[in-house]
Amino acid sequence: MSTLTRSRFLDLRALASLAHMRFTTRRRIEGAYSGRHQSRQQGGAGEFVDFREYSGGEDLRRLDWKVFARTGKAFIRLHQDETNLLCTLALDASGSMLFAGNRGEPSSKLRYVQYLATALTHIISQGQDQVGIAVMDDGVREYIPPRGTLTHVTLLQERIEQLSTRPSSTMADALRGLFERSTRRGVLLLMSDFLMDDLDDVFAALRLFRHRGWEVVVLHVVHPDEERLPDGAAYRFDGMENDGHLSCSPSEIRALYQSRFKSHLATVRQFALAGGCDYRLVSTAISYLQTLQGFLVERTG
Amino acid sequence: MFLHPWAIILGIAAVGLPLAVHWLTKPRPVRMPLSTLRFVREAVTQRRTRHRLRDFIVLALRTLAVLLVAFAIARPQFGEEPLVADSQSGSALRVVILDVSQSMGALDRGVAAFERGRTLAADHLRYRPGLRVNLILAGASSRSAFEQPSQNFEALRDELSQASVRPERLDINRAIAKAAEMLALESENDDRGRELVIISDFQRSNWARADFSPLPQQTQIQLQAAGSDAAPANVALLRSQIRKRTAAGEATQLEIEIGNYSSVDQRVATEVVVGDATFRVEGMCPANRRTTFVQEIQLRQTGWQIGTARLTKINDALAADDERAFIVEVRAKPLYSLLTRQSADHRPSSSYFLERALAPDSDRPEEASVRVVRIDPVNVNRDSFAAADLIVIDHPGKMSADNVTLFADLLRRGLPILYVAGETIDATNLHLLVEAAGGGLQMPVAFTPPSQDQPRHGLFLTSVRDDAAPFEIFGESRQAMTGRLRFGGGLNSSRLENTLDDDVLATYNDGTACLVLTFFDAGALAVLNADLARSNIATSEAFVPLLDQLVERLLQRRTTVTEATGGEPIVIRLPADVGPASELQIVGPPLKQHELVSVGEIVDEGAGAVWRWPSPDKPGAYRVMRGDETVFALPVGLPEEESPLERIAPDVLKNRLAGALTVSYRSASNETAERDVMWTWLLIACILCIVGEFATLSAFKT
Repeated sequence: MSTLTRSRFLDLRALASLAHMRFTTRRRIEGAYSGRHQSRQQGGAGEFVDFREYSGGEDLRRLDWKVFARTGKAFIRLHQDETNLLCTLALDASGSMLFAGNRGEPSSKLRYVQYLATALTHIISQGQDQVGIAVMDDGVREYIPPRGTLTHVTLLQERIEQLSTRPSSTMADALRGLFERSTRRGVLLLMSDFLMDDLDDVFAALRLFRHRGWEVVVLHVVHPDEERLPDGAAYRFDGMENDGHLSCSPSEIRALYQSRFKSHLATVRQFALAGGCDYRLVSTAISYLQTLQGFLVERTG
Repeated sequence: MFLHPWAIILGIAAVGLPLAVHWLTKPRPVRMPLSTLRFVREAVTQRRTRHRLRDFIVLALRTLAVLLVAFAIARPQFGEEPLVADSQSGSALRVVILDVSQSMGALDRGVAAFERGRTLAADHLRYRPGLRVNLILAGASSRSAFEQPSQNFEALRDELSQASVRPERLDINRAIAKAAEMLALESENDDRGRELVIISDFQRSNWARADFSPLPQQTQIQLQAAGSDAAPANVALLRSQIRKRTAAGEATQLEIEIGNYSSVDQRVATEVVVGDATFRVEGMCPANRRTTFVQEIQLRQTGWQIGTARLTKINDALAADDERAFIVEVRAKPLYSLLTRQSADHRPSSSYFLERALAPDSDRPEEASVRVVRIDPVNVNRDSFAAADLIVIDHPGKMSADNVTLFADLLRRGLPILYVAGETIDATNLHLLVEAAGGGLQMPVAFTPPSQDQPRHGLFLTSVRDDAAPFEIFGESRQAMTGRLRFGGGLNSSRLENTLDDDVLATYNDGTACLVLTFFDAGALAVLNADLARSNIATSEAFVPLLDQLVERLLQRRTTVTEATGGEPIVIRLPADVGPASELQIVGPPLKQHELVSVGEIVDEGAGAVWRWPSPDKPGAYRVMRGDETVFALPVGLPEEESPLERIAPDVLKNRLAGALTVSYRSASNETAERDVMWTWLLIACILCIVGEFATLSAFKT
C-alpha cells in the first residue's frame, strides 16, 4: 500500500526497516473484517482449534459427524475466527505536551508523539488493520473512527500533522467521551504525559475500556528535562497549562523535584498496571523509531 | 562619641553593599516553559522556608559584619566626652597649659609623664580654621610662647618640642591667671569659643588650691592627666643640713629628712660627701611618712664646706629628688659683741653679768669656747661686727641714727641681736630700730618708758612659754626655777595688734613683756626687758642656762644655711663681711655642654651686698667667691611639694575647684585603654559574623 499524501512526520525510508513488523495484540479482539488477529468469536469459518461436547440447542452444522459415527458421542468442532484490528490512537493534546526543554520545539513531546503516531498509523494500516485517532484535551477535540482505507490513513496523518495543543489540566472527560463514541472493541493506544490534575479519573475512565474488553496500551511520554531539571543557576518557569510561573534555582530543588517526579512516574505505572493496561515509558531522548521497534517487538512476542 | 564619625556614614552606605552584591550576583533567571511546574512548586514550597531562613541569617550576618567594620573604623570612644577636641569647628581661642614642674619628670611605666603630656599637648596644637592657640609652660612661673593666642602653629610646636621639665613646683593659679588674660573677651560681640586645656599630673600638693574663677564663664576647660591615676612610688631626700652651729673639730648633728611616698616601708641609705669626708646615714622609713635621721659628725676644716647628699640603692619614680646639695659653714669659735657703755671694771653690773654668762670659761681664754668682745657705742663702725656671731646690747645709752641703721641692716642680713632693755632710753632705741628695719620687723609689743608713779621692781613671771626655748630646758622644774626670780627695771610694754602672741616668751605679773623674740628676714631680735643689776636672775642658777638657750635659739637662724628652691625668686642679703659686690663672683654647679644657667646678680644695696636671683633653675650648690675664697654658699634644691606624687581626685577638680565652670577630666587610662578599646571587640565580632556566615552556609548546604 502506498500513501496519497506525504506527512512531514512520515519517513518511509526510516520505516522500511520496520516493514516486516506488525502491530499485534495478545488478546482476542473484535474486528469488522477478517484479518490476522484472533477474533473473540469462535465460529466455523476459521481455523480448527478443538472439540467440545455437544450440548443441546447448539448449531448442528458445527457437529462433527465423523466423530459421532465413530464414537457415538456428539462433539462440536471449534474454529478460531480471525479478524482485523481496530486501533484507536488517543493523543494527548494538552499544553504540557508542547514541552521541549532547552532544545526547542523540534524536541517537544508533541512532535515526538506526532512522529510516533504517524508511524503507527502507517504500520497498522500496512497490517490491513483499521486505525483511528482521538485528539483529547479537556474533551474529545477530534475523533476519527478506525478505518482501513488509504484515504483514511492519509486523513489521519494529515490530522496528526496539524495537531496543536491547548492548555488543559484534565483528560478524564475526554476519555469518557471517547468511550461513549466507540462502538466496537479494539485497542486503545493512549499517548500522554499524564501531567493532569485528574489522574485518578483518567485511569477510572481507562478501566471502562478495559471492562468492555478493550486492550489499553498506555504510552507514557516524558521529556529528559522533565526527569531532571535543566542545568543553570536560575530559571523562571512558566506553566504551560495556565498554572502561573515560578522563579527558582533548579540546583537547590533538583533532588526534591526528581523524587517527586519519580513518584509521579511510579503512580502512573501502578495505576496502569492495576487497571490491566499495558504500560510503556517512552522518553523523547530515544529515537521514536527505536521506541517503535522495541514496542512492536514486545507486542509481537 | 566617635573618633572618625565619617566612617558611620560610610558604614550606613556600605550596609547596602551586601544587598547590592546579593542583587548583582543574583543570577538572571532564564525564562522557560515547564510542564512539570506543579512538582517544582511543591519542591520549592518545601524548600522555601529553609532557604528563607538561611538567606535571612546570611544577609543579616553579612550586613552586621559591614556595620561592625564601619563602627570599628569610626573608633567609638566611651566615657566622658572631651570638651575640647579637634572634631569641633568654629572660631575659638585655645590656651594649652603644660605642667613642666619637677613631678612631671616622674617615670610612670617607664615613660616620663612629661613626655606623655608633650604628646597630648601636640594634639591640641594642630591647625583648624578659625582656631588661635597659645602654649603656656607652667611651673613656679608661667611662660607663654606668644603674648596672645596665635595661628603660628609651627612655632608653638617648636616651643613645645624644646620644653623640658624644670626643677620647680607648679603654681597653677598663676598659669590660670595668665590664661584668663589671653581668653578674656575683647568686646561684647566677641563670640569666639574659649578653650583651656591643662595637661598635668594633677599632683595633690600643687592642685589643692587651684582656682578657676579668673577664667571667662564660657570657657571650656579640658583637664588631661599625663600620668596614671595611681601615684608611682617615690622616695625623696627632703632636707640635709647641720642642726646647730658648727665649729671646727666640734661634734655637731647632721640632720637628714627622708620622705617615703610609697605604700611600703623602705630601708633607705643616705650618703653625704663633704670634701674628703663621707657620712652614711641609714634607717627604716615608714610608708607615707617623713622621717628625720640625726647623726653626730665632726668637721675639721673651717669655712664653707660644699658637698652632696644622695640616696643610695633607691630605684623610684623621680630620680631628681634623690640628691641635694649639702652646704655647711664651719666657723671658728663664736664671737659675741657686747655693746655697752658700762666699763668692764665696773662690777657688779648688767654687762658684767652678761659677759660672765655668755662666756662662763673666759677665765681661761685659750680653752674658752666663746669669746666676748666689749664695744663702746661711741666707737661703733661696720667692721666692728664683721666677725660677730651675736650682738648683745646692754645699756648702750642713746644710740645714734647711724648705729640704729647699721643694726637694722645687720639684723636683716642674719646677725642676731639680744637687747637687754634696762634703761628708759632703751625704749627710744628700740623704737628707732623697729622704724629703721621697716615693716618687716613686727615686734609683738611696743616698749615705752616706765611711768614715774609705777616703779618697776619686784616683778615676777606669770606667763611663760614652756614649750619653746629658752624656758623649755627647765622642763618640769621650770616653776621652781623661775618662781623665785624677781625683776626690776625695764620698760613698760603694750601688745600690738596683728602680731604673733608666740613671740612673747615670758610676761611679768604687771602684764608687761619680760622676754620677746622676733624673727626678721634672716636675723632675730630678742629683747630681755629687765635691768639685770636690779634683778636677782643674774645671780640665780637659772641665768646661765636660760641665756645659753636663748643665744642658741638666736644663733640657730644664723647657722642654718639658707636654701633656695628652684623657680622661686630669691633675694639674699649677704653677710656683712663678704665685701662689696664688685669683688664677688657667683660660681654654680658644673654645666653640660651648651647649657646656659642664670645665676642672678649681686649688687650693693644699703650697708652690704644683695644677691638677687629671679629664677634659680638648676639645682646644686652655688658659691659666692671673693677671689679664691668662698664667702657665701647657697644650695638650690627641688621644692619639697614635688616629691609626693599623689594625685588629686578628679571629682575634687571637677566639682569643688571648678566652681561654676564646665570642666572635663580625662585620665591617662581613659585616653589609652578604656575609651578606645571598643574597636578591637567590634572587629572580633565582625570576624565572628563572617565565621557564622560560613557556618550557616555549611549547615544549610544540601
